[in-house]
Amino acid sequence: MEMSELQDKIFAFCEAAKGKKKLKEKDIINGINAESGLDKDEIKKALREMINVGRLMYSYGGGASSVEIPSEEYLREKGLIK
Amino acid sequence: MKKYDTPLIDELEKGPWPSFVTEMKKSAKKNEMANDAVGHLEKCFKTKVGYWKHGGIVGVLGYGGGVIGRYSELGDEFPGVAHFHTVRINQPSGFFYTSAALREICDIWDKYGSGLTNVHGSTGDLVLLGTKTEALEAIFAEYSSRGWDLGGSGSALRTPSCCVGPGRCEWTNYDTLDLSYALTQEFQDEIHRPTFAYKFKIKMSGCACDCVASIARADMSIIGTWKGNIEVNQDEVKNYAKNGMDINAEIVGMCPTQCMSYDGKELRINNAECSRCMHCITRMTKALRPTGERGATICIGSKAPIVVGSLLSWVIVPFIKVEPPYTEVKDLVRKIWEWWDENAKPRERIGEVIEMKGMRSFLEGIGQAPIPQQIKEPRKDPFMFYTEDDMAAFKAKEAEEKKTGKYKF
Repeated sequence: MEMSELQDKIFAFCEAAKGKKKLKEKDIINGINAESGLDKDEIKKALREMINVGRLMYSYGGGASSVEIPSEEYLREKGLIK
Repeated sequence: MKKYDTPLIDELEKGPWPSFVTEMKKSAKKNEMANDAVGHLEKCFKTKVGYWKHGGIVGVLGYGGGVIGRYSELGDEFPGVAHFHTVRINQPSGFFYTSAALREICDIWDKYGSGLTNVHGSTGDLVLLGTKTEALEAIFAEYSSRGWDLGGSGSALRTPSCCVGPGRCEWTNYDTLDLSYALTQEFQDEIHRPTFAYKFKIKMSGCACDCVASIARADMSIIGTWKGNIEVNQDEVKNYAKNGMDINAEIVGMCPTQCMSYDGKELRINNAECSRCMHCITRMTKALRPTGERGATICIGSKAPIVVGSLLSWVIVPFIKVEPPYTEVKDLVRKIWEWWDENAKPRERIGEVIEMKGMRSFLEGIGQAPIPQQIKEPRKDPFMFYTEDDMAAFKAKEAEEKKTGKYKF
């Protein structure tokens, strides 16, 4: 699978969980692995690239960290959108 | 700049001790954020309410830790603390700085933050207190361009921390500074990208004096120890006695395993019973000295109370050689994480998971054989447990005995 296709899949997975469940990195990796059977390291690499460019972001609440889709405010603050 | 009346926190400046209020007031004279922090603190004391909220979405791009979002509910009244985020800077091993390095840190911080610092926080990091969200990327860019990095926070490996070790201490049994640096470099990903169920702390002490209190504060405590006997210089023992030390009361009587005796002339140690606690050595530094092979004991599981009560670390590896490139230690850390990852629910520390799943499951998971040194306390229940493999082996033996008529014991 192409990297961009995998990243779209990851994004859709996170979008489906939005407001329902705080996803950890592991949840996403295991979830995509179960859906597509792709190698976990490959999923991890794709996920981290998305975080590096701000397509996904780390969040923190109640003592635990999670991964989620960034808000417009966050993207603006990071200079990724105007 | 607004001047706050602070009768309550002024009380904390009285007495002969250093006062954080005095230091905050010094910063307040030249920094609006620090000034509002002083007013905010007085209000907290007056109303007996902490107005701080924490967490949320603050950080630098690509990193999941290192910045802890802090906000005040009283942002309108104290605009300088409306956003008052904490930045953790990864400290050097053993907390050694040059004055030039400290000036560099403070100059950058004065530019972007409140100027208030906490050197060091209980995690071990150098903590910068109070900045705004929009300044975070600039702060990170300035620090990282000068070779500094953020520390860990959230569900990640927290910045490894260690005692001063061989930098200043003759009793260290391994190079804590080097191990701390090596683990920090090896596990960069685990520090900056939170993937665990909850936090994981590694602290390293060179001996059982445990100057970084790893036994109580770290999920994984690496505490220096030795295998040989304690060498006794009887002439120096006599000098201690001559100079007024009550050896029976202060040394022999305080030995936790009661492995020492003193007849007024000679100090004797039954080394086989010694637990290497360092008490006698630290009291009689000229007379006693460890000998033989050096290494570390690895303990697991301490934590402060959140999900279950507070725990102290307990022994899983009584002796391990700690030498570069530290492959054995790194492999063990990875195995521990793997087991924890498989078994923990969100916000469960490893000590709690071991309490729930049992030491047996943990030891099997990390591939360590059960040994007497791992016993935390004498067992209280009479039950014995066998695995399916144990039962299969037992049945096979029984069948063979029946077949051959020869009994194996």
